[in-house]
Amino acid sequence: MKNLRKTMAFIAAMTMLTGAFASCGSSENSSEAGKSTVSESSSSSGQTAEMSDSDRIVAAAQAGKVGNWGLGNEYEILALLTKYGQKTEYLSQAFDMDGFDDDSITLASAMTYNELGLVKNDYEGGYGYGDTVGIIDMNNEGVAMLEDNLFCTKEFAEKNPNTVKAFISASMKGWEYACENPEEAAQIVFEAGSSVSSDHQAYMASEVKKLVETDTKGNTVNEYGKMDEEAMQQTLDLAKEYISLDDSTAASKLQTLTLDDIRDTSYWEDASADDFGDPEKTSVSVQLKWLPQCQFMGYYVAKAKGYYDEVGLDVDIVSGGGDIGETTAVNNSTVDFGVTWVSNLISADAGGMDLLEIAQVYQRSGLVLVYKK
Amino acid sequence: MKKLKKLLTSKFFITIVWVVMLIAVWELFAFHVENIKRTPENVQPHLSGIVDSLTSDRKINGSQTALQMVIENAKATLTRAGIGYIIGIASGFLLALFMSLSKIVEKTSFPYLMLIQLIPILGMAPIINAITGDIAKSRIIIAAILTFYPVATNTLAGFKSVQREKHELMYSYAANKFQIYTKTMIPACIPYFFTGLKISAPMAITASILVDTLQGGIGLGCLLSQSLKGAMTRYVFWDIVFFSAVIGILSFYIMGIIEIMMCPYRRTGKR
Amino acid sequence: MLHSKKVRSGVTNIGCPLLFGAALVASWQTGLLHKILKTDEYILPYPMRIIDIMKENSDKIMLNVNASVKVALIGLLLGSVLGYLIAIIATVFPKYGSGGLTIVSAFNAIPIVALAPVFINWTKDVSDIAEERSMAAKILVVTVTSMAAMSVNAYRGLTELPPFSEDLMKTYAAGRLTEFFKLRFPNSVPYIFTALRVSVPGSVIGALVSEYFAEYIIGVGRQIRENILIAQYATAWAYIVTACIIGIVMYAILMLAESIILKACLHRT
Repeated sequence: MKNLRKTMAFIAAMTMLTGAFASCGSSENSSEAGKSTVSESSSSSGQTAEMSDSDRIVAAAQAGKVGNWGLGNEYEILALLTKYGQKTEYLSQAFDMDGFDDDSITLASAMTYNELGLVKNDYEGGYGYGDTVGIIDMNNEGVAMLEDNLFCTKEFAEKNPNTVKAFISASMKGWEYACENPEEAAQIVFEAGSSVSSDHQAYMASEVKKLVETDTKGNTVNEYGKMDEEAMQQTLDLAKEYISLDDSTAASKLQTLTLDDIRDTSYWEDASADDFGDPEKTSVSVQLKWLPQCQFMGYYVAKAKGYYDEVGLDVDIVSGGGDIGETTAVNNSTVDFGVTWVSNLISADAGGMDLLEIAQVYQRSGLVLVYKK
Repeated sequence: MKKLKKLLTSKFFITIVWVVMLIAVWELFAFHVENIKRTPENVQPHLSGIVDSLTSDRKINGSQTALQMVIENAKATLTRAGIGYIIGIASGFLLALFMSLSKIVEKTSFPYLMLIQLIPILGMAPIINAITGDIAKSRIIIAAILTFYPVATNTLAGFKSVQREKHELMYSYAANKFQIYTKTMIPACIPYFFTGLKISAPMAITASILVDTLQGGIGLGCLLSQSLKGAMTRYVFWDIVFFSAVIGILSFYIMGIIEIMMCPYRRTGKR
Repeated sequence: MLHSKKVRSGVTNIGCPLLFGAALVASWQTGLLHKILKTDEYILPYPMRIIDIMKENSDKIMLNVNASVKVALIGLLLGSVLGYLIAIIATVFPKYGSGGLTIVSAFNAIPIVALAPVFINWTKDVSDIAEERSMAAKILVVTVTSMAAMSVNAYRGLTELPPFSEDLMKTYAAGRLTEFFKLRFPNSVPYIFTALRVSVPGSVIGALVSEYFAEYIIGVGRQIRENILIAQYATAWAYIVTACIIGIVMYAILMLAESIILKACLHRT
């Protein structure tokens, strides 16, 4: 009998607790409703005034609502904020665009081929904003830094020059084919085990094509993987200014770096002239900067189309996206080649690694800041 | 009356009540989230949505459905966790034994034992990766390192729990060190040892998943972080959260069952 | 005699770990450790270099330490108190309680990497200031992780009583409260410390990992991750060492508290 009473009391207590939860939920709900009306009114007032890009940047920076993922992706944003005389602070943005959606970030970082597609489109995972959002393009703002490249260690390149050249040659052939047939490329990547939805994959392929075939000034580039001197120099200069390293040895090394320390064009030149012999090492691996998706379609296409086989290479494509970065993986020879952003390669070299860029796949920056009009 | 009482206090009923309560709280929040968020699945989806994602036959990547993906990756992760766990238990128990045998070993290693626990995995992983040269092996080793601390400390506490009288009794029997250990020390430490096992079983799984996220490849953690980074539907993330929770609870229960089987004398205790 | 014994045990207490540590650091600085571990001075920089970086950036490091310690301590306190309360409830209602206990320990089975992003989403509406809502999310993670260890251990302490002690209490006709304060609570004190030994290092790790995902960029863990990702291993190591120091200091305080409190408890009985 006593036990029963205890049980009943317990159940009663728990019901009360659940009730408390529910009421707390509803009170939150009402405050939330209040908040959303406030933000609506503010956004509608913004619409009538038609702000300029610079006003937008200043306003968002002062409200502390500029977002970026950080972790080495933030330098262009820092450069932009400095350009407009703002403090170089930003919010850490999650990998979804919820923060942008709920207005906790008003100026959110997005890659043209990935997050921007999710914001605009309404396929699975998308937010369906369509043309109600605008973008600030880093290329137009003059703060573009080059992104996806191809690199290996200096030691590896010296030991296996023909492998490097063969790999560049076949990969660039893959990129060329992928850019000519973006839809087929998207399908190849999807079949290679990417879990990005095929709609988004197709969108990504068409956007990546633009980055590979257009330079920072908007001119068409038809040499795949070319290392544009001016854009590389701009990237290095911005990197020296905005990469801040706590390690003073690394920081002073960063300032002394020149283009010749971080890239070597000779491998790419020989590769495009088809001037190379049999590869020294035939079984190689390449680590991507991120998860398998059309951002890296050139390599998947080169593998699927047998371009790697043609030059006598057996290539293993390793997906990235973990915390052990591609620079580390290449440096400790877990993999032979890597795809990274030029700025990441620069900071790795400043920190004491000996990495060498051998081709520059993306000719312009794919980073934009997206805002609600 | 008596029947009702029996039903209300039966173990089965209690479990049901708890589960129903949890579901109720979860769904309450899910409804709340649904009302205020445009992408509720990123914050808290309905349980039905999670179940749907597991049962649907839509292919997430080129070839697999969500369920197939979770199961395939879980196999890899759980195998690594299991191997790491066993290595962790063995080394943890041995270390505790050495520590109880020698004061010097105890005093020397204890601070460092704790220190290893405190080095963030992220710092440890690249080094272990460099040593083994293989991410799969490093994942096992890290799971082992994280599990062996609870086992070692709890077992040591068990050795220390042996009452002085028992020691003196054994001493008066002129028992040697081996006999003291096999007759009193080890039986006495078993409940503590199992506490360590129970704590570290979910930890091994957690560690294995955590270490998965450090580099791509196959594993629940890889899948989890991919889903979190928007590479696939967010429901895969929720599937994994629930899956790992269930596995964690199961591992705890299994350890409890093994404990009862191995030391039945504890069953007589008042519960 | 007693005095010299005390001194000697003090020497082994501190001397042995110190000696071992000194040998470790020496082999590290001379590169012997790199040979044994087959790694290079890039992934595992020399101690002097790490110390230099720590000296150069002491202000920035302290700022991050502050943030991490705050999260770890508040979370630990909340989690331990909650865990103990759950253990009490489980003792009062043994049938339902032990079921609940399993549920609580199940939270521990969910990986922190999965919990942290979820909690960050849940706490989005806590505050308009990113720093505050990130703090709330991080504290929540630590609370949940330290709750499980405490509830399981405290439950043991509250229920696994010395033989016949409960009957003794009954013969005194002691009430529930008296029984709790005179018997169950003192009995559970050593178990509380067992739990803390697990949850103190756990709280530090929980704080560090939850920082990885937080919106507001601060904390020792966050710095480790940022630096490893941009391949600044020397700086990352400076923060790893800092994290270890935080852990050691917190653990040392715990040990001190344990020895004082347990001694006091022994005197009472």
